[in-house]
Amino acid sequence: MNCIITIEMGTNAVRIFAFKIDGTLIDSAKGHYPTFHDEQDYSEQDPEQMFITMLYVLKNLLIEKIHPQKYRVDSICFSASMHSLLAVDKKGVPIGNAITWADNRGKKEATDLKNSALGKEIYSLTGTPIHPMSPLVKIAWIRTNLPDRFKKTWKFLSIKSYIIQQLTGEYLVDQSIASATGLFNIHDLQWEQKSLDYAGINIDKLPALCEVFFSDLKLRKEYLNTLKLDTGTRIIVGSSDGCMATLGAGIWDGDKATITIEDSGALRVVSDKPIHDEKQRLFNYVLTNQHIISGGPTNNGGLIFDWFNSQFGDSKTGFNMDLAAEGLIEEATEVPAGSNGALFLPYLLGERAPIWDANARGVYFGLNIRHERKHLVRATLEGIIYGIYNIGQSMKAHRNIESLSLNGSFATIPFCAQMISDIFNKPVGIISERNSVGKGAFLLSAINMGIYKDIDEAAKSVTLPVDYKPNKQNHKIYNQYFKVFERLSVKLADEFEAIAALQQENAS
Amino acid sequence: MNQFQLQQGTSKELERFPHMIEFALKRINTLQLDEFYQEAPDLVRVYYIVEGKFEWQVQEQNYTLYPGDVLLVLPRQKLTGQERILNVGTLCWLKIKVTNSSNKPTISQWSGITHPDMQRIWYILNTQPGRSTMKLKDAGALFNAIYVELINREIGHHARINAMLAELFIQFTRNIMKQGTSTRDFPQIFLKLDQALRHDLSHQWTVEEMAAIADMGTTTFTEKVKNYSGFSPLNYLINIRVSEAIKQLKKCDANVTEIALSTGFYSSQHFATTFKKLTGYTPSQFRKKNLSE
Repeated sequence: MNCIITIEMGTNAVRIFAFKIDGTLIDSAKGHYPTFHDEQDYSEQDPEQMFITMLYVLKNLLIEKIHPQKYRVDSICFSASMHSLLAVDKKGVPIGNAITWADNRGKKEATDLKNSALGKEIYSLTGTPIHPMSPLVKIAWIRTNLPDRFKKTWKFLSIKSYIIQQLTGEYLVDQSIASATGLFNIHDLQWEQKSLDYAGINIDKLPALCEVFFSDLKLRKEYLNTLKLDTGTRIIVGSSDGCMATLGAGIWDGDKATITIEDSGALRVVSDKPIHDEKQRLFNYVLTNQHIISGGPTNNGGLIFDWFNSQFGDSKTGFNMDLAAEGLIEEATEVPAGSNGALFLPYLLGERAPIWDANARGVYFGLNIRHERKHLVRATLEGIIYGIYNIGQSMKAHRNIESLSLNGSFATIPFCAQMISDIFNKPVGIISERNSVGKGAFLLSAINMGIYKDIDEAAKSVTLPVDYKPNKQNHKIYNQYFKVFERLSVKLADEFEAIAALQQENAS
Repeated sequence: MNQFQLQQGTSKELERFPHMIEFALKRINTLQLDEFYQEAPDLVRVYYIVEGKFEWQVQEQNYTLYPGDVLLVLPRQKLTGQERILNVGTLCWLKIKVTNSSNKPTISQWSGITHPDMQRIWYILNTQPGRSTMKLKDAGALFNAIYVELINREIGHHARINAMLAELFIQFTRNIMKQGTSTRDFPQIFLKLDQALRHDLSHQWTVEEMAAIADMGTTTFTEKVKNYSGFSPLNYLINIRVSEAIKQLKKCDANVTEIALSTGFYSSQHFATTFKKLTGYTPSQFRKKNLSE
C-alpha cells in the first residue's frame, strides 16, 4: 500500500502526517523547536535544530509506524511558514539564525519604504504588504546593520529552502514561499528587479524558482538509508502553510472566504487574479499562476482571549484555561449582541491588516456606569471578531463574499462561529479537518500522483456544511457598533504612537 | 429529576448491577452535623452537585463545590464536610464497588476498560492531588441517562448503563490529563528549560535535574514535555546536542572528540553512534560532505 507524507515546518514545531491514498490519516507526529528573542523585536530560530528535529520526527514516524505497517512512501510534500529568511555562505553554512515572520527589527526600513513611491510600486508588483515580516525588508535591514553578514552571504534562503537543500543538495524555492518575500513578481512569476535593487542584491543571491508541484529531486543516499526509503519516493517542494491551509479548506469559488482564527488569524479568498489594494492592506500569495490567495492577517486572535482569560478568568477549581474560557463564554451569552455599547479594540499585539499599525494598542471604549464584568467579556470577543470583519470590509471593494468557512480553535468555538455569522451577515460552515495545512499538502501530492486532475478538482473533494445562519437583528446592531470600531481604529493612530513610545521608553 | 435513592440489596433496579452500591439524588434541607465522614475501602464515590454550594475535604484538602462540579473520591480516601458539616443543596451520587486483582483496584470486568488503561487511570487519579474535583459539563446528562435506563429497563439497558459508567471514569480522567498537560501555561517553563540545557550542554543532565528546573515531579514533567515538544526530555536534549554539534562540525576546526565532549556526549564513539543513527552520516563523513560542497 502506498502512503503520502506531509511535512509542515510551522512556527513552533514541525508537524508530520502520514495519509493513505484515499486521504485518511494513518498517523502523525510533531517536534517542537524554540524561538529566540535575544533583543526586543527579534524573533529567530536555529536552522540546524529545525532540520534535526524534522529528521528525528520523520525517522521515528517512518521506522516505528509506517514501515512496520508495510506502507510504501509514494511522496513527501513540504510546507512551511512564510516570510522566514536565512543567510548562508558559499558552503551552504548558515550565517546566524533564521529570522522568522514575527521579527520586527526592520520597522524603520518598512515604514520608509511603505511611504515612498517605490514602496507602492513594489507592493503592486509583488503583492506582499511592505512590513518588517517581509524578507525584502529583512535583507535591507541586514545590509545596513550587519554589513559583514550581508557581504558573506552567498544566498538568502527561506527555512524550507534550507531544509530541502540539506536533504537533496538543491537550492530551490517554490512560487508560494517566494510570493511572500516581497522580492517576487506575482504577475510574471519571476524575481522582481525593482525589489532586488532596493534590497541591494542580484538574482544569484536567491534560490532558483520552481512550481509547488516540482518533484525532480533526489534524497541524498545517507538519508535514504537512515529513513529506509527507496529512490522512487518523490520529494515534492510544496507550498506555504497559508496556501496549503486554504487548499486544505477547499475554498475555491470566488465568492467564498476562509477565516482562520487560532492565536492570530487571517481572512483569505482565492481567485485567478491578485487584488490590487490602493491602501496596500491585502496580501496576494501564489499557489499556481491560476490560483492566487489574497487576504489579510491579524495579530490579535485567540491570544487576546487567552490574555483576558488568564487575567480575569474564573480560577476557583484550580486554574484551568479551558474551563475558565467556557465560563467566560457562558457569561458572554447573558449579554445582548453589541454588549450594550461596550466596545473593545483588540490590538494588544499591534495590528497588521487592515490598519497595519505596529503601535496600535488595546482599548475598552464607551463604558458607562451600567456595564458589568460580563459586558466586558462579551465586548472582548466581539472586538476580536470586529478585527477580522474589518479585514473583510477592506476586501469588499475587490471581492463579493457570499459565505464563510471557519477553522482554528478560536473561530470554531460555537459561540464565536455564530457571532462571525451575525457580524458578517453570511452563512458559516465549520471545516471539520483539524489540520488544514496537512490536508492541503496531501491534496497537492494527490494531484501530483494523478488522483485528482487539477487543483480545482482536489479542492472540491473537501465538502463544507453550513452550520450557522446569520441573525439579521444582531447583524444590524453589530453593524452600528462596528462603524465606531472602524473609525476609532484609525482615529487613534496618533495616540497609539504616543503611548507605544512611552511604553517602550519606560519598559524595564 | 425527582429525588431518589437506590441501594444494592434493597432496590430491584440494581439487581443486575452488583457493582453499583448506591445511586441517589437528594435535596438536603437541613444542616447535618457529624454525619458525614466516610472512608470506604472498596468504593469509588462520585458526587455531582446539582444546586447549592458544598465545602468538603478530601484527605484533609479543602474543596468548594458549585453546581456542575464533579468530585471523584477514591477507595480509602477520607471525605468529610469542612467542620464536619454537610451543606444545604441538591446533589447526586454514585457509589461503585471496585474489585482487587493482584492488589490493584479495577472495574475492568464490566466496564470494558483494559487492564493497562485501568492502571493508568488509577495512577492519574491518585497522583494528581487537588485535581479530583472539576466542572464536568456532561456529567449531569450522564447521571440522568443512567437513571432513566435503570428505571425503564428497556432492551440493552444493561450494556448501556455499564458503558455510561465507564464513560464517566474516562471523561473524568481525560479532563484531569488535559488539565495536567495544558499546553497554554507550559511554553514559558519549557523555554526556561531549553535555555538551561543550552547554557550547560556538556553537563550530564538527568531527568530529575531537568524536572527540578521545571519545578515538577519527573513523571508529570516527562509527560508534559512529551505532550508539548513531541520528545521525551532526554531525546529533546539529544536534539539540541546534535544541532550544536552540526554547527561546530560545519564551522570550526575542532576535532570530533572535542566537539563530542563540548556538546555533552560521553565520548567520540557515543557521539558517532548517535549522530550516524539519526543522520545516516558519521561525524567525519558529514564534515567531509560539507567541505566538498
